[in-house]
Amino acid sequence: MIRILFVLILIGLIDRQGLSQEKGVFSGAFETNANIFLRDSSINAISTPQYDHQFYGGEAWLNLNYKIQGFTIGTRFDMYHNSNLRNPRDSYSGTGIGRWYIKKAINKLEISAGYLYDQIGSGFIYRAFETRPLFIDNALYGVSLRYNFTDLWHIMAFSGKQKNAFDTYSGNLKGIRAEGFITLGSETSPLTLAPGIGFVGKTLSDEYMNGVIDVIRSYQDADRFKPSYNTYASTLYNTLSYKNFRLYTEVALKSKDVFFNPFAEKTELVGSNTIGKLVAAKGSVFYGSLSFAQGKWGITAEAKRTENFSFRVDPNLSLLRGLINYLTPLNKQNTYRLTARYSPAAQDISEMAYAIDVRYKFNKALSANVNYSDIKTIKGERLFQEIFSEVIYKMKRKWQLTSGIQFVTYNQKIYETKAEVPLVKTVTPYVDFLYRFDPKKSLRTEFQYMSTKQDYGSWLFGLAEFNLAPNWSFEASGMYNIIPKKKNSKGELEKTLYPTLGIVFFNEAQRYSLRYVKQVEGVVCSGGICRLEPAFSGIRFAMNTTF
Amino acid sequence: MTMRNINILFILFLFFLASCNEICPEITDPVIEDNGNVVLIEELTGASCPNCPKGTAAVKAILDKFPGKVAAIGIHGKFLCEPVKNRSKYDFRNEKAKNLEEWFLPWLGKPAAAFNRIDQNSTDEKYAIFATGLWQSQVEAELQKEHVMNILMDVKYDETNHVANIDFTAIPLKDLPGEYNYSIFLTESHIIDAQTNGSVIIDDFEHNHVLRDMATNFQGDFLGNNLVKNNIIKKSIPYPFPKESIDLWNPDNMEVVIAIHPNSTTPSRVIQCAFKHLK
Repeated sequence: MIRILFVLILIGLIDRQGLSQEKGVFSGAFETNANIFLRDSSINAISTPQYDHQFYGGEAWLNLNYKIQGFTIGTRFDMYHNSNLRNPRDSYSGTGIGRWYIKKAINKLEISAGYLYDQIGSGFIYRAFETRPLFIDNALYGVSLRYNFTDLWHIMAFSGKQKNAFDTYSGNLKGIRAEGFITLGSETSPLTLAPGIGFVGKTLSDEYMNGVIDVIRSYQDADRFKPSYNTYASTLYNTLSYKNFRLYTEVALKSKDVFFNPFAEKTELVGSNTIGKLVAAKGSVFYGSLSFAQGKWGITAEAKRTENFSFRVDPNLSLLRGLINYLTPLNKQNTYRLTARYSPAAQDISEMAYAIDVRYKFNKALSANVNYSDIKTIKGERLFQEIFSEVIYKMKRKWQLTSGIQFVTYNQKIYETKAEVPLVKTVTPYVDFLYRFDPKKSLRTEFQYMSTKQDYGSWLFGLAEFNLAPNWSFEASGMYNIIPKKKNSKGELEKTLYPTLGIVFFNEAQRYSLRYVKQVEGVVCSGGICRLEPAFSGIRFAMNTTF
Repeated sequence: MTMRNINILFILFLFFLASCNEICPEITDPVIEDNGNVVLIEELTGASCPNCPKGTAAVKAILDKFPGKVAAIGIHGKFLCEPVKNRSKYDFRNEKAKNLEEWFLPWLGKPAAAFNRIDQNSTDEKYAIFATGLWQSQVEAELQKEHVMNILMDVKYDETNHVANIDFTAIPLKDLPGEYNYSIFLTESHIIDAQTNGSVIIDDFEHNHVLRDMATNFQGDFLGNNLVKNNIIKKSIPYPFPKESIDLWNPDNMEVVIAIHPNSTTPSRVIQCAFKHLK
């Protein structure tokens, strides 16, 4: 019914456009992935419906937006066909309208309804967002009002339910945000403040409360507690800018909330106690980021303390489902294959993280970057540490050399729940060389070596990418387990090659890629949200375009 | 909008927070009357599954809470079921367990358990639920449903020929339209072997209700059509132990579980269940 109403409104608007002679603007985007699964037991690319009998899986998203007379309306068609995005070990199919929305600006007021994306502050208490590779689409299905007092000050309020694929979760969310901008000090050296305050309320539905009660009833008296329907979270944040300094601070607090603590000891009636139970506790996040940029220098220092800040629409949901908030990761977001192999997911129960990033530009040709991240639990258990350095040398427009080295310590027990495994320690030097033969032809090569005695052992990675601007790119890469530490299905230590061969075609805003891929099991992260993905073997086609 | 207005808003938020004193629900245990139902728990577990001891504890607690009313089966199929490297003595995986594990897809992770194979109406968890805390309430709900069938069973173990002779009688307590199947599971308990538990490995973990084999197809064998109230159906099934299992399985610790359910290519709700020790 809502979809029919939406189409009627769309037709009505287009019709009005004809009468008023005002031109509306259509825009859109399309993205699709198609995978052919080729079973390969030697790399453990087996035992999913796609490898066993479906052989094909894919996804597609088509966005359409239309703007006219202060209205913005949009819709998105989603298709999942034997897709492994929702659950990497399973197959999911679903087709339908994944999103629709209507926005209308009336003087200082903006009204929005439908599936809405937004956030408060850094997202510690609320972030409705979409991350397709991880099947996260936490849009709020509801309404939002925003009133712009001035160009600098606004207040926004929302209410609704969280999206769950083509459905919604049954609990409800509401919130409010006020943000502004203040200029102090002299005109020549102003001090500016961008303060904000936000509040979010979550009310469990009766269905979810019954689930919580059912769980608590199964606990011994020592672990039982009285759950509450409502949880409130508030945040206060500010960006202070003065001359070359920028200081962002945010404090987020959460009232007593029921959540699953995977590290809490649960009392068992018989046998030894187990780990993991629902608890009710208050939570907090403290975050600060200080940046300095002047001339050749760029320095950023960050710190974050997180305690009991798991915030979901239903406490019984797990993994990446029902997340209301988003916890910013502090570690460097790496892009090279081997330097990105061990990435930490932001921890919501207990995390104390620091990071510092220093950039220096010696001259037009030479620049350097050093980054250090240190993540522990509040009690001091080591979770992650990274020392990263990079030097970039540009020889005019002819060639560019990027080289660096990364040292990582990674707690696989915590991030991947693997038993009796030591901390993974890696040393990864790498070189990226780009050579331009002429304005149209270029060759980019990458060489990376990860030395480690843990997990799968040491890796070698090489890539060659030949670009023929503006339309073509050809690539060949290989990730080679040069000193293996894990036995294969035959019980042997085998040096395995994970090759990728690809071709990419660009046509204005369109991008087509076709790749033959063998990919090792690993953690896939997107902005600090991670999950363990099984190995992949097969052919991947991807296409995206905007219009 | 001035700072003064913002301050007023902030105070309003705090006031709003402070004013919300809700009436919290009470935690009360339901009264479960014995109406004759026996519930089947099919737990998806694995020796290399770090969270699975939580499932073991949850099943144990349920069995202790409802003695004689619940039959448990530990399914060591594919996912996280490899024997623990350099520590396990046994490999609990078998073909029927793999088939059942796949049959219950989709599920989110392990441990997960199906309760009388009821459809959870969830895209992520069709039959088997990941949250162990919810398992007890699933059993309670099934125990309170209408009792529609009695199963009487007898099991005799022929030690000379290593054959389990399984006899059972199904007595419908109402007319049951449609086709029905029966599934017979053989499980073994008190097996001491390695088990991953969080970030450690327990070498002397007690594995219980391990599915060793089924005396039927994994989807069950045909029982009858349009069952009529009080029309009894008798079955006698001899199950010869596979040769390779004779020295491996311990009949003293084995149990036979019978489940009756609709004949379907997808899991369907088990209407009644019964279990008995092999010896």
